[in-house]
Formats: sequence, C-alpha cells, structure tokens
Amino acid sequence: MALEKNLTPEDSHERVRRQTAVYVYEAPVRLWHWITAFGVLTLVITGFLIGRPPPSVSGEAIDHYLMGYIRFAHFAAAYVVTLAFIGRIYWAFVGNHHSRELFLVPIHRKRWWGELWHEIRWYLFLERTPRKYIGHNPLGQLIMFGVFVVGMVFMIITGFALYSEGTGVGSWQDQLFGWVIPLFGQSQDVHTWHRLGMWFMVIFVLTHVYVAVREDIMSRQSMTSTMLSGWRLFKDDRPD
Amino acid sequence: MSSILNASQLDASGRRIVVDPVTRIEGHMRCEVNVDEQNVIRNAVSTGTMWRGLEVILKGRDPRDAWAFVERICGVCTGTHALTSVRAVEDALGIDIPYNAHLIRDLMDKTLQVQDHIVHFYHLHALDWVNPVNALKADPRKASELQKLVSPSNPKSSPGYFSDLQNRLKKFVSGGQLGIFANGYWENPAYKLSPEADLMAVAHYLEALDIQKDIVKIHTIFGGKNPHPNYLVGGVACAINLNDTGSAGAPVNMTSLNFVLQRIKEAQVFVDQVYIPDVLAIAGAYKDWLHGGGLASQNLLSFGTYTQVPGDKSTDLLPAGAIVNGNWDEVLPVDVRDPEQIQEFVSHSWYRYADETQGLHPWDGVTEPHFELGANTLGSRTNIEQIDEGHKYSWIKAPRWRGHAMEVGPLARYIVAYCSGREYVQEQVDRSLSAFNQNTGLNVGLKPFLASTLGRTLARALECQYCADTMEDDWHALVNNIRNGDSSTANVDKWDPSTWPKESRGVGINEAPRGALGHWIKIKDGKIDSYQAVVPTTWNASPRDHKGNIGPYESALLNTPMERPDEPVEILRTLHSFDPCLACSTHVMSPEGQEIIQVKIR
Amino acid sequence: MSNTETFYQVMRRQGITRRSFMKYCSLTAAALGLGPAYALQIAHAMETKQRTPVIWLNGLECTCCSESFIRSAHPLVKDVVLSMISLDYNELLMASAGHQAQAALEASMENHWGQYILAVEGNPPLNEDGMFCISGGKPFVEKLKKSAEGAKAVIAWGSCASWGCVQAARPNPTQAVPIDKVITDKPVIKVPGCPPIAEVMTGVITYMLTFDRIPELDRQRRPKMFYSQRIHDKCYRRAHFDAGQFVERWDDDNARKGYCLYKVGCKGPTTYNACSTVRWNEGISFPIQSGHGCIGCSEDGFWDHGSFYDRLTNVNLFGIEKNADRVGMAAAGVVGTAIAAHAAVSAIKQTTQRKKKEAEQERNS
Repeated sequence: MALEKNLTPEDSHERVRRQTAVYVYEAPVRLWHWITAFGVLTLVITGFLIGRPPPSVSGEAIDHYLMGYIRFAHFAAAYVVTLAFIGRIYWAFVGNHHSRELFLVPIHRKRWWGELWHEIRWYLFLERTPRKYIGHNPLGQLIMFGVFVVGMVFMIITGFALYSEGTGVGSWQDQLFGWVIPLFGQSQDVHTWHRLGMWFMVIFVLTHVYVAVREDIMSRQSMTSTMLSGWRLFKDDRPD
Repeated sequence: MSSILNASQLDASGRRIVVDPVTRIEGHMRCEVNVDEQNVIRNAVSTGTMWRGLEVILKGRDPRDAWAFVERICGVCTGTHALTSVRAVEDALGIDIPYNAHLIRDLMDKTLQVQDHIVHFYHLHALDWVNPVNALKADPRKASELQKLVSPSNPKSSPGYFSDLQNRLKKFVSGGQLGIFANGYWENPAYKLSPEADLMAVAHYLEALDIQKDIVKIHTIFGGKNPHPNYLVGGVACAINLNDTGSAGAPVNMTSLNFVLQRIKEAQVFVDQVYIPDVLAIAGAYKDWLHGGGLASQNLLSFGTYTQVPGDKSTDLLPAGAIVNGNWDEVLPVDVRDPEQIQEFVSHSWYRYADETQGLHPWDGVTEPHFELGANTLGSRTNIEQIDEGHKYSWIKAPRWRGHAMEVGPLARYIVAYCSGREYVQEQVDRSLSAFNQNTGLNVGLKPFLASTLGRTLARALECQYCADTMEDDWHALVNNIRNGDSSTANVDKWDPSTWPKESRGVGINEAPRGALGHWIKIKDGKIDSYQAVVPTTWNASPRDHKGNIGPYESALLNTPMERPDEPVEILRTLHSFDPCLACSTHVMSPEGQEIIQVKIR
Repeated sequence: MSNTETFYQVMRRQGITRRSFMKYCSLTAAALGLGPAYALQIAHAMETKQRTPVIWLNGLECTCCSESFIRSAHPLVKDVVLSMISLDYNELLMASAGHQAQAALEASMENHWGQYILAVEGNPPLNEDGMFCISGGKPFVEKLKKSAEGAKAVIAWGSCASWGCVQAARPNPTQAVPIDKVITDKPVIKVPGCPPIAEVMTGVITYMLTFDRIPELDRQRRPKMFYSQRIHDKCYRRAHFDAGQFVERWDDDNARKGYCLYKVGCKGPTTYNACSTVRWNEGISFPIQSGHGCIGCSEDGFWDHGSFYDRLTNVNLFGIEKNADRVGMAAAGVVGTAIAAHAAVSAIKQTTQRKKKEAEQERNS
C-alpha cells in the first residue's frame, strides 16, 4: 500500500499488474457497498409493493399494519441508503484514489478513452483478451457514474420530495426537496418518475451482478471476492 | 299559430339591437335582432360564442374515463353528460347494469332535474319577470295576504317575514352598491308584477338559493360531490351495505338512505308550496304576454326518459317521440341510430364540410373548425359589432331531425308526453291551464298556452314537480329491491378492456334538464376512436341551415314586441325560457383518420 | 358611501344578537384554523368595513365553479352576495345583459380602481386570435387583461383558471392557458378543483375580507389553509390503507365495508385538497366516502395522467401510452434477455478458448 500511494496512477498501471494482490476497496467502501446492496433490494421490493399492494388482508383494520410496515421498511431503507451514500461521498475525499472512481470520470485522459474503446470491443466479443485493471475498468466506471451515481441522486431527490408530502409543509424535507414536485408538474408525476427510476435501478443491478460474475470468470482479475476482502487478485503475470 | 317561417321571409331592414353577452345563462352567447317601427322583432340571430374542443381531447382515451371529461361540458346540468356517457359506453360494450344502479342513477338524474329547474327559474329566469326594486314599495301585510292566497299551505307568509326582508332589501339598495342588480331594467314597463308580488318573489329567490344546495346533496350521497358527482361504467360506485360490518363507513347505508328521503320530501314541499304557485302567479300577471312560442307549436323532439323497466323504452315516464309541422295528433317514433333521422349541418356554423348542403349523422360526423365572418359583418375579426347571418355566424352547429329544426326541452317533453296520452302529465297541464284561465278570466286554448315563453317556464315547473314526486317512488323501489336480497350496484364482468370486442359503437341518450341529449361513441382496441355529443342547446340555439330553416331560439324571438328596444328584457325572457347552456364540445376524426374537428354546443 | 352597511350592521339587521355575532366570529376563526384571539379581529373587521367589490369573469369553462359557489352553506351564499361582497359583475347571476352589463363592469372598475377583487372562472384560449371565446364581440382574453389591470388581487377559481383543466388536456385544440400566463403582474391566488369546494371558495373570500390580505400561499400559489395536505392524509379510510385492505373490484365485499380505494385508482395520495376534511356540500360526503376514488381534480393536468382507474400513471413515451411498471418491466425484460444472450455467447467463447488453450498446451508439452 505504501508503495502504491507514492506512485502516480500512470506508474502503477505498469508496475503492479502482476500476479499479486492489490488492496483496492477499503473497509468503509466495502461496508457501504453491501449496505447499499441490501438497502436497494429492500427499496425495490417495498417500492414495488407500494405501487402494487399485495392482496387484501382480512379481518379488522386495527389488527393489521401491512402497508404501514411496507412503507416503514421503504422509508427506513431509504434513510439508511441515503446516509450511506453521503458517507460514501465523504469517503471519496478521505479514502484512497479508487474511492473517487465513482464520482470522477477521467474523461480528460486519452488513455482512458482508449481503454473504454477496448472494453466496449471486449464486451462485443471483438477482443480476445481483456485488459487488467486495479479499480473499475473504464466502461464499468462510466456506468457506475452515469447509471448508479446519477440514478441514486435522482432517487434520493425524488424520494425525499415524495416523503416531504407526508412530513408536511415546513418540514426540512419539504424545505429541501419540496421544490421538486412543481418542477415535475404534480405529485403524481414525481411518483411516476420515481417508479421509472426504480426500474432503472433494477436494470443497473441486473447488469452489475451479471458483469461482476462474468468478469470473475472471464477477466484477469478477481471481482466479487474483492468487494468482500478488498484485495484484487490478478490471474496472470502477462503485461496489459 | 303561424306556420314555420323561413330565413328568406325575415325582414332585417329595421333597427339592429345587439345583446352580448347574454347573461344568466351557462356559457357565452350573443343575440342580435332587428325591430320594425312598432318595436316588434322581425329578425333574430343567435350566436354561440365559445368552443372548447372536448371531443378532440377524448380521442384515444379510456372509454371508462369518458364520463368525467364530458361531465365538464357543463357544470350547471352537472352529471347529465356523465350519465349519458356511461350509457353510451355500456351500449357499445353490451353491459347491463344492476337494478339498484338503475334506480340510483334515476334518483341522481331527477335530483338534477329538480335542483336545476329551481335554480333556473329563480336565479336565471325570475329577474325577467320580477323587479326587486319595485318590491321596496310593497306593503308587507298585503304581501302576506298575497302569499296566503297563492299558496295557503306555505308557512312563511307572515307580515313580519316580508317586512324583515323588505328592510334588508332597502338597506341593500340604499347602500349604493347594487351588486348583481346593478344596471337592471327596473324602470322598464315590461315588468308587470305588483310590488307585493315582487317582494314575495324576492323572498323566494333567497329561499330557493338555500333549498337548491340542500336538494343537491342527494348527489353528494351517491356521487360524492356536487357539482360534478362521480359515475361508473357498469353501475354506480356507491356500494350498498345496510346491515353488515362496516355499514357505517359504506356509501349507502340506513342513514344515507334516510337523508335522501328527507331531501326528497323537502323538495316536494318547496315545489308544491312555492315553485308551482309562483309560476302560476307570474303567468297570471303576464297573461297578455303569450309570446315566444316559435317552433314549440310546430316541431318538437324528445328522446324519452325515466324508464321504469330497464331496457324497455315504452315504459318511459316521459316518452320519446317527435312532432312535426304542428300536428299534435301524431307522435312519430325516433331512432337515434338511424342515419336518416338525426343529421347536423354547418352552412351557417364556423365549421367546414366538403359539401355543406349535406347533413351528417353523429356516428359519421366530419367537421373542421373554420372561423370566418361574412362580408356584411360590421367591425373586425376580433371586434364584431354586427354579425352577418347570411354567412357562418355561430360556434353552434345545426342539427335537424329528418330535415326539421326541432325544439327540445321540458316543454317538448311535456307536449310529446301529453300527446302520447301520459295521464299524469295531462292532468298536470290541464289543471294549470284551468287555473290560468280561472285567474285571468281568459279562455286560452291548450296550444297557444303551452307554445309560449310562459308555457316553457310552466312545463319546467311541472316537470320539476313530477320528478320530485316520482323520486319517492324510486326510493321505495330501491329499498324494496334491497329488502328482496339484491344489494348489487355494479356489473364488473366487462370492466377489463381485454373482455371487449376489437371494435364497437354505441349511443347513450337521456333527457337533460334542457332537452334531448345524445352521445355517440366508437371504441377501437380499448380506446375511444370517436366521440360525439349532440346536446340540447345545439338543437335549440342552432343557427340556420342551407335551406333557411330557423332554429328554436331565433324562431321564438320573432314577432315579439319590445317595450324599449335598448333594454332587452323581452329578448332575455324568451331566451331564458329555454335555459341556454352554451359550454361546448368537439368531435373528431374523418373516416380516413386525419384529425378533423367537429363542435357541439349546448 | 357612509350609508353602506358593515357586516355587523347586516347581521344585526338580520336579528342576530351581539352574542351570536361574536360566536360567529370565533367559529369563522376556528374554521380558518386561527386561534381564538383572532375572533376579535374578525369582529372588528366586520363592524367597520364596506362590502368589497368583486368582478367575476367567465372564460372557457363549464360554470361548475359558480354552481359550487352558490352551494356554500356557511356562510350562505345569499349573505355573501347581499352582505359581504358587492358582486358587481357575474354573468351567471346579474340582472342586466349586453351593453348594460358591460357598463356595470366598466363602472365598477372605474369607481373601485385598485380596490376590487377579480375572480376568474375558466381560462382564455389563445388560438384563432382568442375568438374561441368571444365576449362583447371581442376575444375574452382582452377583457381579462383589462379587468386585471385595476384589480387589488386576482383569484383563479377552479382548475380551469389555475391549471387549464379539461379544455387544456392534450392536445389542447384551443390553446387554453391558465390565467397567470396572461396576468403576470398581479398576485394570482389559485383555488383549484373541478370545481373547488363551496366552503373553500367562500372561505378564501371571507379570509381576504376579514384580514384584508391574501391568504398565505404555497409554492403553487394555493392557499395553504386548504391545500397543504393530501386527501389521503386525512381520509377516513386511511386505516384500511395502512392495514393493507383494499377494494379489489367494484361492488365487492371490501367495497361494501368501505375499504381503501387505492387499487381501483384513487388519486387521494397525490391530490392536495380539503375534500376529506371539509367534505362536500355542507360536509355530507366526499367522493371516497361515496365509493368512487378521487380523480385528482385539483391537481395540475389531472386529465393527462392515465386512466382514473389505474394506480400507476401512464407514461407517454414516443406516443405509446404504457404505465410505468409496464415500461420498467419491459426494459428489465429486454436487458435480462440481453444478459442471458451475452452470458451464453460468453460461455461458448470461454469454452472454445479454453479448448484452444488446452490444445496449445498439449502441443507445447
């Protein structure tokens, strides 16, 4: 780690991509990842049920609180995911340089564009061998930013705007996010966009999981285990 | 009884009088007349001055939603379009509704009829006959005596009641802020009531304002709100629960049924004690003013309403039928599906047809808005001083029944019912006529009596009474049906669009407060393909057609003498007797599918 | 104008005692959500003020707002019209017509320039030079602009004046616009609903008369007193929503028990209005209590948000209307299929490469 920290990223590209282990994801990042993963899963399931409630329960209303619990779970998970996301942004400032990958896409680097092109060709089965990366590959990084980060910000803003309808005029949620509702037209428009956002996130999760598993098998570095241990393992010593 | 005049026989040489806006109506309307040297109206032109485009908007929407859109055609006769719309959709999809739903819809429809007729008479029409300023001169004791004479059973008849009201009126007038009474025609000799009768009528104006909001609460029970109560394709949304768990939170329970019955009884009392006696008293005072008949003696149309046995139109309380050329001895059958019967023309309307000598049935309607003023118009395109009736001159189209311009409305319903031998109606009309002749010492016949501005106003009052009476029957029928174990209110077998045919078409008809109403719908792939409404005011306010046939408004104004041509009391009187309602809607789609717009104004 | 009556004189004249007058004032204060201290302020205002002139215009509309207004029970509309305001121009109720009506309008504007309240029902169409709505031979929009110039405040009655409502629903053939699109230099108070509740209408007016100021408004310029909460927030069926008890089909057992109408499309959760609290027609009922879901009639563009019977809004993308779930599921399905295909190709490629590698290794060894 110490060695790595003294190197510029450009240097490290050449130096460290040997069959070694590199520490990539620090503990807070890993913790955040799994909190977010379970949080988003909860949000999608409960969110789906809020739009399409399960079959009616029988008996007295006083004996049940099904929708109440579903909504509670949704709001609780929303708070957790949001706070975790804020923490993740904080970590981007204080963590290692990989912790900034999600938020800063190096579109000013020529090399990055070349690698992006390479990745696209790899996924189109036009490249025979993948390249090695310590953090995200450029395509992955682009999608993490453009889909995940932007998607999360959208869901947090629209979500809290909808939540402010319950907390009422003058609440901090209303003061911070209430402007969103007239921006979209009316409450129902925000509901609709929030719902579309949910499906957007579902698609992200599908792709994310698939790509991670596939890369685990087909790429030259570890993937899923990295998000558990933090260490990236390379499978060969060949240069990039 | 003159025969029907043609546009070519009219004399537009005299002085032109313009009334714009015509007030105390729904929507926007303009009226122009020419008077001769004796101040008798010799030419009349009625122009609908608004267009909203509702039926363009309906294209491609869910047919189950249509009722809400078309309900917004009119907030005065609120609900009647919604009812007609759900009927059209049910007709297209072959849905039969439960008997309870049938009864509840009839109750709501009659509620509207009662409330709307009361509001019309007292708040939109009365000031054409009643002079509130003149009421200041009344002797409250004499007003009390008059009240006891015209309606012995009315308890609000003490001298104190009238003197309190008169004091309030005095303060109001002396304050200098006349509000809605400002600039009225209070010096005009066209007003003929005694000060006491005026005071009594003003009292009832205010009482009616109170009672109308109570009667209409029946809509609130069954439809959740008024104006614009909710309707449902397949029945009604107000589920019935009289005796089970949750009844207190259910829409129709014992308390809400009791509430409805109470409102029905209040309405009956008001109509019997106040409304009917007032109309007869006013008719007596204006006994020499049997003008304004127009087409009423000649061409009348009713689609029939208040079917007693669902599906059997022959059991309508007010039957369907048409009378033409003044032949009251023959009531002709009406078929709204027959392309030869109901057709619309646009040669004098702001729309375009390929061939404007042809009329089109609503199912095949093709129209395109086309605002264009004739060469003889005075003023400019956006500042019309005088309209040119020789060219296109109205946003209203000209519907015709087998080529005839037809009057619709309570009077048309009543004449058709009378001539079809409906006993209740005959008895009501005969009683009123004999009361009129007795009070005035005249011997007026049935036809000149009914076919007049006063006749139109009277028919509305009688119909109000009929509805209030039979609502109680409907209420009992509803309770009976529930007692027999039927609590069903909606048929949901065809709620899901996947159960619908690929293409279908239907028609819904009703008798709205202002007359015969029809909605024609075509449904394709679960969406509205075309939607067209021909509404009562389209018939009554229709402009001329290519053959010069004159519509009911214009025809009724002809030959009416005016006291002071600058003060259009007489014009308002006759126009108001039709209860104009000009909010409007549009039609869509040529058969080729390009978007073409067609407009109906009510 | 010294002989113009104040509210108090009017009420006394109607035989109301000082005591009941004070009681009325505290009830009014309570109805407006104000503390008892305000009762005295109301009483003072009513004892001293003349009737405020109100000019009421009608554009493209259906008159449901006027009809709703005359349903008001507290205060009774006869008292509003005779004693509280001076309704100087209102085409539905006024006695005069034509030139005399125009003259009444002009006189009121001239005499009360800067003092009158302009209340607008309906909206102006802009297409066809505004001639889709003609008043006095001229486009309605001219009359509207002219009347707004001298108004102290402007009230937009109902969803037509506030948002556009039904004539502005897609494709809005007349290009009808909310009035704040043409009145841009005056405070416009939006009182939406199709129509608004009668007592909400008279409540807004009495508040303005009593306190001589416009009510506090929210972001969308609606009075907070009536439009700050959703119908769902105060619905008497809310307990059934929280419990998960819904009407599944019209007239099912649940409908008869008064369960939540969420699944049959109720828009209560997205509609800001006072229906579930003030209720309609003197508090008799409101749409949900009568078994039909809320259709969201006080919300901007409620006509263009899919069927009144769907929970989820239709999304109009590229002219194809589908609800958000169908769009989402279809997209997820496409992506899922693409992933499966991609995985299959990847697997084949991996196998062939491995075989090649093994063959190479064999050759090498």
